[in-house]
Amino acid sequence: MSDPIPARPTRLGVGPQQRTDAWAGLKAIGPLMPGSALFGMAFGAVVRVAGIDPWAGMFASVSVVAGASQIAIVEAIRTGAPAIIAVITALIINARFALYSAALAPIWAAFPRRWRFGLAYLMTDQAAVVSLQNADAYPDPVRRRWFTVGAALPFVAIWWVGTAVGILLGPVIPAEWQIGFIVPLMFIAVMVPGLKRPAEFVTILVAGAVVLGGKDWPFGLNVFFGIIAGITAGAMFEPWWDKRRGAREGNDPLPGTDPLPEVGP
Amino acid sequence: MTVWLILIAAAIGTYLIRISGVVLLRDPERIPEPVQRALRMVAPAAMGAIIINSLFLDAGEWRSFGAWHIAALVAIAVALWRRSQGWSMLAGAAAFAVLLIAGL
Repeated sequence: MSDPIPARPTRLGVGPQQRTDAWAGLKAIGPLMPGSALFGMAFGAVVRVAGIDPWAGMFASVSVVAGASQIAIVEAIRTGAPAIIAVITALIINARFALYSAALAPIWAAFPRRWRFGLAYLMTDQAAVVSLQNADAYPDPVRRRWFTVGAALPFVAIWWVGTAVGILLGPVIPAEWQIGFIVPLMFIAVMVPGLKRPAEFVTILVAGAVVLGGKDWPFGLNVFFGIIAGITAGAMFEPWWDKRRGAREGNDPLPGTDPLPEVGP
Repeated sequence: MTVWLILIAAAIGTYLIRISGVVLLRDPERIPEPVQRALRMVAPAAMGAIIINSLFLDAGEWRSFGAWHIAALVAIAVALWRRSQGWSMLAGAAAFAVLLIAGL
């Protein structure tokens, strides 16, 4: 898998080996690309439905590059939330990237600084998972970084294209289609297939109960506190559950075995 | 104007989160286990909250039972059964389209 890099006739400074590795990255993330395009379109349409400046919507996809938080921001703006609530909600949703960043740190340690800073900007949930899963197949750091950029960059590029298409199409989609349904549908598709831990179900139930209980709170605060309550409940439930299961089965409590949730852009 | 400021703040904050580990850490074990555990719950909490908020509430009022709820149940069932993002999306969208055409 990891032949040394051959002498390279380059095109635009990119040799054939690098192109091959980047192409392999693209193929690895390929099955997830339609989701990125669709989600981008959904976000673009949601921006128009909320009556937000289309350029701001496009800027969100280019600068924030994290769909769930972008939709939360749009929802916060639509419901007239204070700016600080919108920002904090978005950052809490994106706090999960700290996990990826920590997991990727040793894998990217040998990359040049500008590569690490650039790839971090492109690091979506999907690209992080693909990069982690294929790290062992690319022990050579140069080949590994080209594989990683081959996976991460097209995934984000298709997210931008999707956003632009959604912004353009948003106003012409008939209201009867109720395009807003894409928001719960997309998150169901992204989140539910990866659900395994009992603590995750506790998290969702508690978050949902607070969201509905706080229905009359202003500024989307029900979502904000729902997320906080869900995280707290799940994080408290898990050690208790592991200990209980450990005691029942006479085993040591299982530590978190799978380090990463597989979730959306 | 506020919209742009919100986006710029969110973009900067999100980027700082993304580079946090890559810049600061060489060893993922240095994130304490309780913090890791909380971070693992962020995705289900955030997505669960957004799903339930958009499914059951509409502009601060209860959404009347209908196509949204049924199609969401279809998507969840298929997601748990096939463990596939693509099939879940497809099934949910198809169910929603059929229900809308059926007039629900």
